[in-house]
Amino acid sequence: MIRIWVAGLVRRRAGRLGVAAAGVAVAVALLASLGAFLASSQASMTARAVRDVTVDWQVQVQPGADPAAVLDAVRAAAGTAQAVPVGFGQAGGLTATTGTTTQTTGAAVVLGLPDTYRSTFPGELRTLAGTDRGVLVAQQTAANLGVAPGDMITVNLRGGTATSLRVDGVVDLPAANSLFQTVGAPPGSQPNAPPDNVVLLPQARWQDLFAPLPPATAATDGVHTQIHAARSHALPADPASAFVAETGQARNLEAQSAGGAVVGDNLGAALDAARSDAAYAQVLFVFLGLPGAVLAGLLTVAVAAAGADRRRREQALARTRGVTTTQVLRLAAVEAGLVGLLGAAVGLAVAAVVGWAAFGAVRFGSTPVSALGWTAGAALVGLIVAAAAIGVPAYRDVRSATVAASRRTALDARSRDRAPWWARYGVDVLLLAGGGLIVWSTTGTGYQLVLAPEGVPTISVSYWAFAGPALLWIGAGLLTRRLVELTLRRRRLVGLAVGPVAGRLASTAAAMMARGRRPLARSVVLLGLALAFAVSTATFNATYQAQAEADAQLTNGADVTVTESPGVRVGPEAAPPLAAVPGVRAVEPLQHRFAYIGADLQDLYGVRPETITGVTALQDSYFQGGSARSLMATLASAPDSILVSAETVKDYQLLPGDVVNLRLPDSATKQLVTVPFHYAGIVTEFPTAPKDSFFVANASYVAARTGSNAVGAFLVDTGGGDVTAIAARIRTRLGASAAVTDIAHTRSRVGSSLTAVDLAGLTAVELGFALVLAAAAGGLVLFLGLAERRRTFAITTALGATRRQLRGLVTAEAAVLTVGGLVAGAAVGWLLAQVLVAVLTGVFDPPPAAATVPWAYLGITAAVTLGGLGVATVGALRPGRRPPVAVLREP
Amino acid sequence: MTARVPAADRTRSGRDLEPDLVSCDEAGRTFLRGTVRVAAVLPTTCSVTPGTRVALTGPSGSGKSTLLHLLAGLEVPTSGTVSWPGLGGPPQGRPGVVGLVFQGPSLIPALDVVENVTLPLLLAGVEQRHAVERACAALNRLELGGLARKLPEEISGGQAQRVAVARVLASAPRLILADEPTGQLDHATGERVLSILLETADELGAALVVTTHDELVAQRLALRWRMTDGVLRTEGDS
Repeated sequence: MIRIWVAGLVRRRAGRLGVAAAGVAVAVALLASLGAFLASSQASMTARAVRDVTVDWQVQVQPGADPAAVLDAVRAAAGTAQAVPVGFGQAGGLTATTGTTTQTTGAAVVLGLPDTYRSTFPGELRTLAGTDRGVLVAQQTAANLGVAPGDMITVNLRGGTATSLRVDGVVDLPAANSLFQTVGAPPGSQPNAPPDNVVLLPQARWQDLFAPLPPATAATDGVHTQIHAARSHALPADPASAFVAETGQARNLEAQSAGGAVVGDNLGAALDAARSDAAYAQVLFVFLGLPGAVLAGLLTVAVAAAGADRRRREQALARTRGVTTTQVLRLAAVEAGLVGLLGAAVGLAVAAVVGWAAFGAVRFGSTPVSALGWTAGAALVGLIVAAAAIGVPAYRDVRSATVAASRRTALDARSRDRAPWWARYGVDVLLLAGGGLIVWSTTGTGYQLVLAPEGVPTISVSYWAFAGPALLWIGAGLLTRRLVELTLRRRRLVGLAVGPVAGRLASTAAAMMARGRRPLARSVVLLGLALAFAVSTATFNATYQAQAEADAQLTNGADVTVTESPGVRVGPEAAPPLAAVPGVRAVEPLQHRFAYIGADLQDLYGVRPETITGVTALQDSYFQGGSARSLMATLASAPDSILVSAETVKDYQLLPGDVVNLRLPDSATKQLVTVPFHYAGIVTEFPTAPKDSFFVANASYVAARTGSNAVGAFLVDTGGGDVTAIAARIRTRLGASAAVTDIAHTRSRVGSSLTAVDLAGLTAVELGFALVLAAAAGGLVLFLGLAERRRTFAITTALGATRRQLRGLVTAEAAVLTVGGLVAGAAVGWLLAQVLVAVLTGVFDPPPAAATVPWAYLGITAAVTLGGLGVATVGALRPGRRPPVAVLREP
Repeated sequence: MTARVPAADRTRSGRDLEPDLVSCDEAGRTFLRGTVRVAAVLPTTCSVTPGTRVALTGPSGSGKSTLLHLLAGLEVPTSGTVSWPGLGGPPQGRPGVVGLVFQGPSLIPALDVVENVTLPLLLAGVEQRHAVERACAALNRLELGGLARKLPEEISGGQAQRVAVARVLASAPRLILADEPTGQLDHATGERVLSILLETADELGAALVVTTHDELVAQRLALRWRMTDGVLRTEGDS
């Protein structure tokens, strides 16, 4: 019998099976695609974390241990590619005489590097001026001493020895923080900042300086040797697994050296940070992916429900022919299994294609076990959806649907008009209130969605935070249904509203919709939730992309940034020639100085407040105490105003209007002069500025008080042109006199947790599925709903209705669905987008001031939805192959 | 094979001059069943004049419903022509011109009884208030006023058929076509529905064509047409 039933289904109900299987396929494809996203993002996180590490291990040789033995041990450790010794020494200070002035610095670190160091660790040093070899000074040191290649400096050792050296080059140390870490110290005990003064010497010259020191002096002066190692980067794709493997090797070396070596595991630390990114990826999956999968499931159930009456009749017929209840259930299970398996197979195939197109790989997990788990899980979800859509209603019908029961229900008007239990008890309002409370409490002060303490193997994710959006989602859906049903009961109002399309049949259309308000309200909810999914996901993604762009712009400064070499004095007059380069729209000079506040040395940026926003975006979220516009206006109107970091405000107990005396180098005397400023506001982020404390002031005022208008960098706006090509043109124009960086290159290198979670593929997948769901929720549900009422339309036609009148009836319902769905989708989508941005604030760097609305995508979504509804309406009105009387004869 | 049936009931004086309400000229209808073409109605010539009462009988599958649908304009003939000279043209898209009563449930489930009866009037352009008045009058006429606000699922099959007749009565058509209106009803209810149909036709002065395979029903109508395997024959006046 099962074979006959299945054959009949395939032959006669292929459309019904196909549509239900398509719904299951969407759910399965979405879940499996998200598995592919997780696999891809985890692998890219590991790769990115590893790529950004310049020196994998810094193994510090402990006092009394033999550096050569430790070097051998490091080289012998599994996974070590290369290892070289590096000498660290302390100097009491540095001195340089330029012209008639002499500058002296505080304590300095002197490194001794082997000749092969630069080729072994290419990311550790970046030459800014002069040669790559010989005596090199760090950029800030060069600025402090006012020296350039060719100048002489004196290194004053603590024992009173002084050695003069000729500077061969000026270098930048991009990884200074890890290079000068205190190896073996816990995370909270690391230095706040790298040393201000650094000199790098060839190893032989370093030995000349520090080897003669007596051991006691050497120990006091912090003279020691580190072994810097480059390790194999063939690690597990999952950051957590890679972290465990890598740190295990480091601990193994320490154990083997028996206290002779302590490993500064930079590679492990980077993987440690990537673990939290991986946790965020999972969080994003839950927030952005699950609603789509649930929606696809609901859509499948709705599609199946559209044919429920017919299925019920078929089962009733089977029962009258002697088929037992068990057999009916078995037949329903077979149909559900058929739909589930077909949907799962198609869904997995679609996911494989999507994964290949979006993430460049056809795998649903980062390891074979997780890939198998994702595949099986997604397929299982498909079977569950099919069972819920087909099996459960059949079971319910078999249990309760008797003629007597159905008549009792039909005849009981109170039962017909009675609100569902959740509406009677106000569950929708309670869910919304509960969701709001949870969101409010979880996004309060000190909230961290993902907590990954450094060095601690476990990561904690605040899964409680998921409850807020989930409750809001469900509550908003139920409230939408309640409101739609309430509205549809007001027949006069609905009749007036649909009057323009239904004409004289407006009251009939209103009556039809009032009686069929429950399925219609369910359709509105489904469409509304599908649109809300599209709106919230797209808004979140747009905000994410905007902040990623802002992050890249903060790092690079502008589309293209020209950074002048240390020691080279270039004034704002160099801007017009740059502006003449083809493709350049505007150029803005930006001063960069170092200023002392008390004993602290901080970066100071001098800006032209009237024009700075013409080349780089300053978001309000970068400032406190005023908007970007108002604070720039303050700098313009009161040139001695200054913006400082929140940390500085706290450390120095500053109040608005307080005088802030900074010490800046004077151009003529090279000595520090005191320049008074007035505290005007807090700046947390600024283009090209570091993450820690810095100042922003008026460039004209700084120039006037220091006698120099020297520019640190020129920010170049290309107006959306090809930044790479324009940067190349500028490079050709300037030669080696300045470093030219562009935002496209920076974008690919920014290593924050934000960009480590690669959302580009997820965005494409999510937005694609959101479009499919919106179109399906609108068009398919409307079409199937209308198709199920073809008997009504056949009667109306037989009674003499014109095509125009029929069109009016159908269009009235489509209009109600469209308007209801769009309004609900916009409202719920906006709410969820705000909640997502608030709850997922940890993935944004910098945090956004407001959500970014992707109008173009939303316009496309609205157009596709309207298109789907339009096609459904036209399809329902299409003259059938069978005359209305044939439809009326159907059982 | 061609069936030729004389114009039905030209006996009443004064109506001989009136044009036929509907006229079939060699009208036939075939359907495609897979690759096989099946003739439901062979080319037939017949006509219905104003005020006539016709019982269209025949076994199941003989083509009587298809012929009725041809007369109603719900089916298009695959050969020959059907014209409606007495109705001023095809009834399709002209609500209220022909009154139809179907064998099965023909009420719209989402509309209550009065709304169902009002619908053809609204389709015909009658103003809402007047349409409701006429619908209520028709329902009262058939003693169905108490069911006005009931939904089709809340009334019995016999009541639903009487409502369908009330719908015809409210529209006041000149031609009533009833497709086995008593087919799903018990004998007593069927009798009652037929009586109402006849009274309604009398009241409106409308022609009535009823398909049936119930001899008792057929005997209550003046003319009898018989369909056998798609061929229409007259069985004489009663």
